[in-house]
Amino acid sequence: MSLFHKSPVDIEILLDGEESRKHVEIPNAAGSGSKTLNDRLAVYEDGETISGMVTLRVKEGKRVEHLGIKVAVIGSIDMIKTSGGNGSGNSSKRLSNTSSSVSDARKTPVEQFICLSYDLCPPGELQHAQNFPFMFKDLAKRYESYRGKNVDVSYYVKVTVARKSIDISKTKKFWVYLYKNVSLPPAPIVNNEESHPNAETTEENGADGASSSKALTGGLRKEPKPVKLDIGIENCLHIEFEFSKSQYSLKEVIVGRIYFLLSRLKIKHMELSLITRESSGLQPSNCLVDSTAIRYEIMDGSPVKGETIPIRLFLGGYDLSPDVSCNYFNVKNYLSLVIVDEDGRRYFKQSEIVLFRTR
Amino acid sequence: MSYAETLEQALLTVKQQAMQMQRCLQQRKLMDALKHTSIMLTELRNPELSPKQYYELYIMIFDSLSVLSTYLAENHPKHHHLADLYELVQYAGNVVPRLYLMITVGTSYLKCPDSPRDEILKDMIEMCRGVQNPIRGLFLRYYLSQRTKQLLPEDATEFNANFIITNFIEMNKLWVRLQHQGPLREREQRTKERKELQILIGSQLVRLSQIVDDNLSMYKDQILPVVLEQAIQCRDIVSQEYLLDAICQVFPDEFHLATLDILLDATTHLNPDVSINKIVLTLIDRLNGYKDRQEQEQGQEQEENTTSKEVKAADINLFQIFWNYLSTLNEERPDLSLQQFIPLIESVLNLSLRWYPENLQNLNALYKITTQKCQDFGSDIPPNCEYLFQNLLTLQNSESSTLRPSSNFFYKLISQCESFGGLLALQSLPLQKSALNSILDVLLHNEVDFDDENEASSNEGFLIDSKENLCSLLSIFEPLTKLGPPMPSLDRKGSKNVKGTGDHFPADEDDNDDEGSWILDPIQEKLAKLNHVVFQSVVKSSDPIKDIEFEMEVLLTLRNWCYKGGKNIKYTYPAIITNFWKVIRRCHLLATRCDSENTKRHTELIKQNFKYVSRSTNDLFNMCGNSFSDALYKLNIQSASLADQLSLGEIAYDFFSQAFTLFEESLSDSRTQFQALVYMAQSLQKTRSLREENYYDSLIVRCTLHGSKLLKKQDQCRAVYLCSHLWWTTEIALIGEEEGVTTDFYREGKRVLECLQRSLRVADSTMDNIQSSELMIEILNRCLYYFIHGDEHDTHVSVRYINGLIELIKTNLKSLKMEETTTAKTQLAEQRLSELHIDDAQNTAKVSNRFVIGSDGSYIDVPTVNGGRALVSTKLNSMYINEMIQIPIQHFNRTCDYILNQRDVDDRFKVIVI
Repeated sequence: MSLFHKSPVDIEILLDGEESRKHVEIPNAAGSGSKTLNDRLAVYEDGETISGMVTLRVKEGKRVEHLGIKVAVIGSIDMIKTSGGNGSGNSSKRLSNTSSSVSDARKTPVEQFICLSYDLCPPGELQHAQNFPFMFKDLAKRYESYRGKNVDVSYYVKVTVARKSIDISKTKKFWVYLYKNVSLPPAPIVNNEESHPNAETTEENGADGASSSKALTGGLRKEPKPVKLDIGIENCLHIEFEFSKSQYSLKEVIVGRIYFLLSRLKIKHMELSLITRESSGLQPSNCLVDSTAIRYEIMDGSPVKGETIPIRLFLGGYDLSPDVSCNYFNVKNYLSLVIVDEDGRRYFKQSEIVLFRTR
Repeated sequence: MSYAETLEQALLTVKQQAMQMQRCLQQRKLMDALKHTSIMLTELRNPELSPKQYYELYIMIFDSLSVLSTYLAENHPKHHHLADLYELVQYAGNVVPRLYLMITVGTSYLKCPDSPRDEILKDMIEMCRGVQNPIRGLFLRYYLSQRTKQLLPEDATEFNANFIITNFIEMNKLWVRLQHQGPLREREQRTKERKELQILIGSQLVRLSQIVDDNLSMYKDQILPVVLEQAIQCRDIVSQEYLLDAICQVFPDEFHLATLDILLDATTHLNPDVSINKIVLTLIDRLNGYKDRQEQEQGQEQEENTTSKEVKAADINLFQIFWNYLSTLNEERPDLSLQQFIPLIESVLNLSLRWYPENLQNLNALYKITTQKCQDFGSDIPPNCEYLFQNLLTLQNSESSTLRPSSNFFYKLISQCESFGGLLALQSLPLQKSALNSILDVLLHNEVDFDDENEASSNEGFLIDSKENLCSLLSIFEPLTKLGPPMPSLDRKGSKNVKGTGDHFPADEDDNDDEGSWILDPIQEKLAKLNHVVFQSVVKSSDPIKDIEFEMEVLLTLRNWCYKGGKNIKYTYPAIITNFWKVIRRCHLLATRCDSENTKRHTELIKQNFKYVSRSTNDLFNMCGNSFSDALYKLNIQSASLADQLSLGEIAYDFFSQAFTLFEESLSDSRTQFQALVYMAQSLQKTRSLREENYYDSLIVRCTLHGSKLLKKQDQCRAVYLCSHLWWTTEIALIGEEEGVTTDFYREGKRVLECLQRSLRVADSTMDNIQSSELMIEILNRCLYYFIHGDEHDTHVSVRYINGLIELIKTNLKSLKMEETTTAKTQLAEQRLSELHIDDAQNTAKVSNRFVIGSDGSYIDVPTVNGGRALVSTKLNSMYINEMIQIPIQHFNRTCDYILNQRDVDDRFKVIVI
């Protein structure tokens, strides 16, 4: 836009201490041609103050009238419109005049869960460069930033110069990580029935997806109970798939084993993959998108009865999405065991695991 | 990432990636280097490669990874931390490259002093389970083993052993599994591939043996049971055979000695299809080798006291262990076929021979169990087993020369192990025959190279010390005595049965193949030799003076034994008779030396022996009859000569008369008769003891009479003029006679002349002119002999007589020449024509020298070309008449030349007119 129509005001948003902050590299919007470019975004966490400086520059010798300058911090859930869903269509109209989301042109905001703004400057005239500091103190961020196939959760600071004609605005994206502080001391919290679920619910409102696995872990407090899955095809294959627990921090290692009780398949190889399932939209027309985040061969060749195949999968090195759940979409992770036989047939078993971020 | 399709491509990729990796390492770009390594390792995922190709690839990659490993270890704390790298490489998506990287990094980490060794090792070996494909898994684990070779903690042998054993067990499982992969029809191929890979498994055992060093208790308690357990449980033939073989080969001899029972026990639990005997054979070879080496060492350091090891080896009764093993095996595995069982016994036999060469009881026990087994097995032994028995019985399989049994050993074996004979008797006849044949060879062989220095000690031959032993020895060979000569009919199946069942062979199937039955029979020949050897050994072992009776006894035993051979005695009896002669001669020697009392005794013995000889010849006659009469005749004459030499005229006469009887009754062939008479005349002429009682007279008259009654005139003529010598005894220098000194020569010139005249008459009446002339010339020569050796009034051969004879011959020759002239032209022309194309030039040149007349009157066609075959014919070929005529003429010319020459020496010859 700016290429064709030179904006009279140049807006620059600088976040405090931006250079020294932790950054993430997020692939640039999937839809827009430039695939190779990565966005480098500063990382914030829940409750952190976002402060910075807005610099407005006017062309030399020009003055620009404005109806006031506002700064806003916005957290929004953007979606690709799905099959003319009624809810999303409504909300997009209602929300703003900008038709596309900040990050991806194809996605349109469905909900702005944060929208805080205040005026930096009353209506007036801009004559030369002017700096305006801004600050959103202790900003609560409900969701972690997310960029998926169908859904984005994005945060940005938006500065708008209101004018009579077209408003001039500039956004500055940042990234939010939500750290779960619960699993730091999982063991010490003994016998305190309240603390554990408490800690979990602070972040996620009734994590539906995790409820089943929670039921598994609920019984034992001291140590996470290993998950044991009995998988089999009658008279053909019978294995025990066992891994240490059902909830992992993103830095953790999945350790487990596969025990072959019966194997009549001619197995070519076996792999473990981590599937991130993003489901978006409301119930009747929700859209499921699976993406394989990790693909990890754990066995080569065909074992016989009695063999135990070790599993060790470091999660830390991968770019994974922790589980998210909200009204509009949720993200779940599944551990999937895939056995490929010599004829190319695939046999698989998925088991949900909860991923969360820790410091 | 995918792998290349062909080996060439894969090798190329590996080469390229290895180069890039090294370049990156030089530039300290570790991450890039790892990336290239990972691409390189992807080639190892290729499932299409055969084990050999995979190995090729593996070798190449191994080298490249060594470079990486060195880099990693050198730069460890400075540029990176290996613990981090160990985690990092685990992000590799494919399991095979990941594990290779892990092992490379892990082992590099082990090189650093502060690394958590045990954890790393445990982790690596645990994670290796991820590769379940046999070939890839085997190589991966081999890689692990190679990389950790130098890096296992030195102080924790037990840990190391466990580590290696774990790896070994997994490798073995993979190896066994390889057999069951792929389609059924490729099973053979699988087995072949597995054999190619077996070295990988074997390397683990080698590693174990390096680790265990000389820690016997550890080997015994921890390693061996586990390894054996693994071998037994996998139930795989290839694996079991290889593993046990490898165990036998890899670990030290002392260990085997100490754990022999465990090891042997394990073999009883193996898959029934595993050939136990191979394993036991290896083991025994090993133990025998150990014994060899020990003895060598002992030889080298005799002064230094041998260590406790030696004592240990001596403590264990190896044979007992193996014996127990065999017994249990016999009980528990009745399914073991003879093919499997007998090699086992043979191995144990070799062991016993090597370790307890003196202990024949062991062998006896072994033969006994074999006999039992054979009996259990039933009468018919599969023919493919026979060579096994042959080996067992002849002990031929022991390869080292020290083990090769000597004749003495065989003698002991046969005389002391009663089971040996039992086992032998169970075998089929052809097998018995060939086994005994081999044993015979050994028994006889030693006598042959008696002076071979190396084997002098073992080569003393056997000494027969008692009659019982002799009997058992002989009874072993009894089957041989009964065997017929290898007649052409032996090949026929029918005759085999006949031989197997009956003790007596049908009297030589047809009587008219008397000559055919004289085929040289090597076995009977050897038996005859054995007679000699036995007798020699008896002579050697016994006191030469006192034990003559014992020797005789032995000879009688031998004779009785040979007698069982039926017709075959014609091969063996001569040997016995000869030995009797020897005894007689020795008796005579003793008799002349000893005092009177002993002389008497010995004279008695001599007579006794002659009786035995006579008895033997009678046996021969009764058994063999006509087919053997010629040889029998000669044996009689020789016995007679011997008796004569010992001045036993009566006995000599007896033998001579027997010879005559034989001549009259059995010698029917005219040519044989002639030869026999010549021989008789020869022997008689030398006799000295027959003068009394006119024995000599009657004998020589009879001889001459027989000569004059021969069928053919030429034979008559020759026999008679030869017999003329019977009346003209000549000196025998050996017994002190001398011409001119000794006066009592038996000479009657009148009879001599009579003989000559008689033979001349016969010669004259011969129809064939050539023969007749030739005979006359021969008589002339005889006359000249007497003319030289005696005075005219002694010999009655006068100048007149000789001149007359010469005249007669001349006339005859003249008429012969006439015969030549009448026929020569046509004959020559014909002959020329017929031989023109063959050898014209030679024929004309040597025409006169082609034919000779033999002493029995046959024409011999001497070939003109050197190396050709002489043709003997009794009939005159009229085609060559001219050459024939030349024969007497030239003979006469030679005789004349002689006479002319004699004139220079002897004046009497001047009177002879030529």
